[in-house]
Amino acid sequence: MSTIAPEKYKENASKGIADPVLQKALGGLQDRLGPATEKLYNSQPEGHDMRPRAHQFRRKAIDNLDVLLSTLADKVRGHGGIVHFAKTAEEAVEICKKIALENDVKTVVKGKSMVTEEVGLNLALEKEGIEVYETDLGEYILQLSGEGPTHIVAPAIHKTRREIAELFTEKLGTPYTEDPPTLTRYARKALREKFLKADMGISGCNLACAETGHIVTVSNEGNIRMSTTLPKIHVAFMGMERIVANLEEQQSILRLMSMGAAAQEIGGYVSYVGGPAQADHSDGPQEFHLIIIDNGRSKILADPEFREMLCCIRCGACLNVCPVYGKIGGQAYGSPYCGPVGAVVTPLLFGINTSADLCAGETLCGACKQACPLEINLPRMLLALRSKLSDGDPDWQVQPKSKGENLLFSGWQRLNNNRKIYDTLLDLMRMLQHLLPAKQGMITRLPWPFSGWTANRNMKKLAPKTFMQQWKETKEKKDS
Amino acid sequence: MNKPEKVTLFIQCLVDTVFPETGAAMVTVLERLGLKLDCPSNQTCCGQPAFNAGHQREARAAAVKFLDIFEDAEVIVCPSGSCVNMVRNHYLELFADDPKMLVRAQAVSMKIYEFTEFLVDVLGVESVGARFPHKVTYHASCHLNRFLGVDRQPRTLLAHIDDMTLIEMKDADTCCGFGGTFAVKYSEISGAVLEEKVQNIVDSGAEVVTGCDMGCLMNIQGMLSRKNIPIEVKHIAQLLAEK
Amino acid sequence: MTTQKDFIGDISTALGRPTPAAVDLFTVAPTTAEQDILKNIRQRSPGERQPFIKTLQEVSVPLHLDFHPERSLEDIRQAIITLILEKDPEWGTKKSVVRWDHPLLNSLNLEAAAELKDISLYTTSPVAATLSAEERQQQRQQTRKEVEESFIGITSADYCIAATATLAMKTRPGQARSVSLVPSIHLAVVEESKLLATLEELYTLLKWDEAEQAEGLTNNLSLVSGPSKTGDIELVMVHGAHGPRELHLFLVADRS
Ligand code: SF4
Repeated sequence: MSTIAPEKYKENASKGIADPVLQKALGGLQDRLGPATEKLYNSQPEGHDMRPRAHQFRRKAIDNLDVLLSTLADKVRGHGGIVHFAKTAEEAVEICKKIALENDVKTVVKGKSMVTEEVGLNLALEKEGIEVYETDLGEYILQLSGEGPTHIVAPAIHKTRREIAELFTEKLGTPYTEDPPTLTRYARKALREKFLKADMGISGCNLACAETGHIVTVSNEGNIRMSTTLPKIHVAFMGMERIVANLEEQQSILRLMSMGAAAQEIGGYVSYVGGPAQADHSDGPQEFHLIIIDNGRSKILADPEFREMLCCIRCGACLNVCPVYGKIGGQAYGSPYCGPVGAVVTPLLFGINTSADLCAGETLCGACKQACPLEINLPRMLLALRSKLSDGDPDWQVQPKSKGENLLFSGWQRLNNNRKIYDTLLDLMRMLQHLLPAKQGMITRLPWPFSGWTANRNMKKLAPKTFMQQWKETKEKKDS
Repeated sequence: MNKPEKVTLFIQCLVDTVFPETGAAMVTVLERLGLKLDCPSNQTCCGQPAFNAGHQREARAAAVKFLDIFEDAEVIVCPSGSCVNMVRNHYLELFADDPKMLVRAQAVSMKIYEFTEFLVDVLGVESVGARFPHKVTYHASCHLNRFLGVDRQPRTLLAHIDDMTLIEMKDADTCCGFGGTFAVKYSEISGAVLEEKVQNIVDSGAEVVTGCDMGCLMNIQGMLSRKNIPIEVKHIAQLLAEK
Repeated sequence: MTTQKDFIGDISTALGRPTPAAVDLFTVAPTTAEQDILKNIRQRSPGERQPFIKTLQEVSVPLHLDFHPERSLEDIRQAIITLILEKDPEWGTKKSVVRWDHPLLNSLNLEAAAELKDISLYTTSPVAATLSAEERQQQRQQTRKEVEESFIGITSADYCIAATATLAMKTRPGQARSVSLVPSIHLAVVEESKLLATLEELYTLLKWDEAEQAEGLTNNLSLVSGPSKTGDIELVMVHGAHGPRELHLFLVADRS
């Protein structure tokens, strides 16, 4: 369960940093996945071209989204599926609710889907008295504990086996054990019962293929296959951008997605679903519904600065290398989308001002772009968001974030523009810095607005002479 | 490019005001290689802090000033990867909608080099005949490494310093947590990232940590000093100037 | 409710249409590289496929896929009988096995094995179009019951990809998709001629091979690489999350 609260970034980041269990989990995850993914990228037969080409494939799909979605819809209908279009989150939820109520659905099993988190589906179904079960093991653990995800692909990595053992004992009544295989077996058993009795299965869509008219889901656990094979109704939620034109392009993107998500050549289960079971088939759902969701995406599409973000396939590779994410964890972002991808997507979907800290709270080190299977330029888009926050932008309903900061920077600019004033101010600061507490030439406490620096580190004092002064003096000496 | 007649120095503001010894070391190295140097003394900051904080107007003003001062240079050399990235890459974005300025920015973009990049790629120098009998570890700054693609160059130069032991730290290319105003505004997060960097430096067993950007090195030095860890911080120019 | 027209219309507006769509969206003819791949696959001799077997063997290990050495139908039959006898059911004590209705599996003739006389052997039969809706429903329910009851599911596969140990399985009448999913142990018996080198080869076939084009991907195509797994508890890899705990693969040697 995730509530949208990006405005609590700093506060929640503090909690994450102070949590030694989380620190260990994040460290382990990044050490393991980051380098393994990079190694895979470098060992592909397509060579270094593979990622830029895949980016082009995605970009082409986004630039032709109207054509691709129409084609997909036609083909899915041709396979006997029912296609719905939802402009907003509410509409998407309504559609699903209606299907559930009309079919007297009592139990829903869900394969991992971020877009259903985005639209707040579970709560709405539960309000109707429908039991909803997350079936990805990590998601299931979080559903039992009532927490938000720490990672896109491994949502419960912040939970220790001990916590999970206690949780299962309490909620499932299973004997206490800290053995991960045994714990997994408990969940397997509990969820198998749900799979077998569920009358509706809900999945996301990793990447649809327009020309064949199929959605594709990827998992390692097999939970999505279970959710989409056993219940009599399958409802797939799809963010409208999760599509590619043809099979050959999809092949390379699915492989890259698997490398990015879990350092695998290909996900354990890749399923193409085109429609419900045919009349002469002995299993599979009797109804297949595809809900294609906009919910703010066409706005992103219309803005050339951010259109690139729609290329994202939510693999989570950027999380596995981000130094900031690696310290604060996913819950700090206050959104189903966390890490570098979340820092860009959350403001665009849920409001730039409320997510101001998400836009500003990164180092711009570029590790995300380097790790992204599609080389999406997240740092560039963070910069664009920051610029909107300083100037405001009516198109995106952004108010200038801080008058104080704007003043500071326009003052800085005036200073920077004139070396004489610049030097005078330096002289003044050089005098004043002697008033600051210092140890061995290092200032230990700086005043506002620099005080954050000395919260955890010292600062070397300004040099007695600037390099420019020294340069002039040597030059004069040489000349005389 | 042939050996230039004259090299114009672009001194990162941090080097100018806090670490002039880094600039001096760069001068020593370049002069030893027989280069004529020039350093416009009215230069200030390239605008990167404003740009990274989203203040494009102010960054653009700084960029205009920079172009005014530097555009006549034959070649510009700077001891900071992130400043070169600002001028080489971000100036083009700042002036994307201003064709006249864009042409000027492009011209400067083509002739600005980071110090080690200049030595290795332009001058073809791998050894400057330096000697530094210490254990050193190298921090690969993000903008230098990822946005300029400069990593082999400093490592080549380091490998050719006599009597020096280069020890690779864990995650040498992971960010130190500096990020300009980020370090001040999100001090706790920045500090947490830096903490890990410092730990990796300490674990390497080096006596000196070096790099090509005083921004990162100032950040690292700040925490080493706060924790009373006796590891010295030196810009690569300082090592290359040692005999 | 938003109509398709409005929804797509908004997208077209956002895209700044009427700029025309890209021409090469849906490729209509194979590239020369793809033609070469197709040619390669079609002209491949059994001998040329032998290195794939070695690859398959190697990649099976980290995937926890049990790749069996038996090659002849008779040996495979024996090995499967042994597995059925030796393995224990996960959810009860009764031993039932379910399999596809598939020529290769039919030819194993497990039903005739005296050793298996106490074990229920089910086959997922096609649902005849001549049946009434109700009868069809009944037959499906019966199949569902049998699949749920079975601890081993036996399937074949359309293709097996060596580089990633991937089984590609389309859904057809008689080839229920739950057989490779719901039982705790999945056995796959695949003809060596179905071996492909890479996923790229698979996709090239799916896309350009005439028979494949005619059939389409079907309403459900599954690519399965190894048994079900999860690392969601402290990143410890555990096999058997929701799908099969074990996946056993048998390759039937070419008879030619
Ligand atoms: S931005 Fe790139 S790395 Fe991050 S989730 Fe999206 S596709 Fe994956």
